[in-house]
Amino acid sequence: MNSLFQTNIKTPLLAVLLVFATALVARAQGSRIQMTSLDHLAAKASQSVDVTIDERLMKVAAKALSDHDADEREVKQLVAGIKGIYVKSFEFDADGQYSAADVEAIRAQLRGPGWSRLVSVVSKKEGNLEVYMLMEGEQIGGLAVISTNDKEFTVVNIVGPVDLEKLAKLEGQLGVPELGIETTKPKTKN
Amino acid sequence: MKTIFIAIMLVATFTSATVVRAKGDDFNSVVKMIEQFYRVKHTGIPFLAKAGMKVATTAARIKGGEAKRLAEAGSIKLAVFEDQDFAGDFMKFRTSLNDALNATWMPLIQTLSAKNEEQVYVFLKTAGEKYDVLVVTIEQREATVVQVTLSQKNLAILLRDPEGTGKAITEEATITDPE
Repeated sequence: MNSLFQTNIKTPLLAVLLVFATALVARAQGSRIQMTSLDHLAAKASQSVDVTIDERLMKVAAKALSDHDADEREVKQLVAGIKGIYVKSFEFDADGQYSAADVEAIRAQLRGPGWSRLVSVVSKKEGNLEVYMLMEGEQIGGLAVISTNDKEFTVVNIVGPVDLEKLAKLEGQLGVPELGIETTKPKTKN
Repeated sequence: MKTIFIAIMLVATFTSATVVRAKGDDFNSVVKMIEQFYRVKHTGIPFLAKAGMKVATTAARIKGGEAKRLAEAGSIKLAVFEDQDFAGDFMKFRTSLNDALNATWMPLIQTLSAKNEEQVYVFLKTAGEKYDVLVVTIEQREATVVQVTLSQKNLAILLRDPEGTGKAITEEATITDPE
């Protein structure tokens, strides 16, 4: 009886602590999402790409891109304020090489406070595209994109103030893959 | 055959002045790591290196402009592993490599192709006003480790197309151009 009582007390306490810890971790991470859970897919993938442009590299990029070259100036303006670009992309030879749990591990992080799914975004490419935006007060804190089809699984995470227009312009540059992003009418869904 | 050999030796002689062999740095550590992990040996002299020669590189193709070099003159460090077996747990190798370089180098892009058994890693660090780039390429039977110094302008090319430019840096260091 005593043991049962202790279990009954401990379980909610543990749950509260877990929620508290998760909230602390989420706050510390900001719009950076954890993608290491996907690393095991590299062994199954026919091709995997892992891009890490962290804050240090973004500063280097901002310094390296020229104001005199029109193309570079445009990219420089696009990346202004961005604190990181992280991409994990996997291509497989056969269907079913990644699981729903792999996708869910990413999606679960995007249900946290501040994140909203932009339902107005579609892709010109085949498959499913999910775009999530993190709002920090009135400002955009970051974006996350999950792009899936039978043989491909891509996650893009941009930390910092980046809107859809910027994201579309960044496709094919700075390691951001071609996502074929198109917007319809602006709507968000929690 | 003899003529080809003499030509190769001449190229090696003329380029050895600009191709720097690593001494006690991360470049050397990576070469040793590959040797230990895959139980292979790199070739001492980069026979195919053509640093300092007039070349047309992929950088030019990317920009769609005239031929230009990526690496700063005299900055190329190169280790080549030829005709050896690189079978092994590439996930484990990737982890070891990242752990070894994480403190001083920034990982930019890492691609793994299970189909072609190819791994490409591009790391970056600042070097005063310029930037050092380390490109490690491992294929089924060969591997290369290339370290070059890039100007700010060429770093911008690398950052805009990390995968293509990473390959271009290795090409520039290892492919002899007929020009």
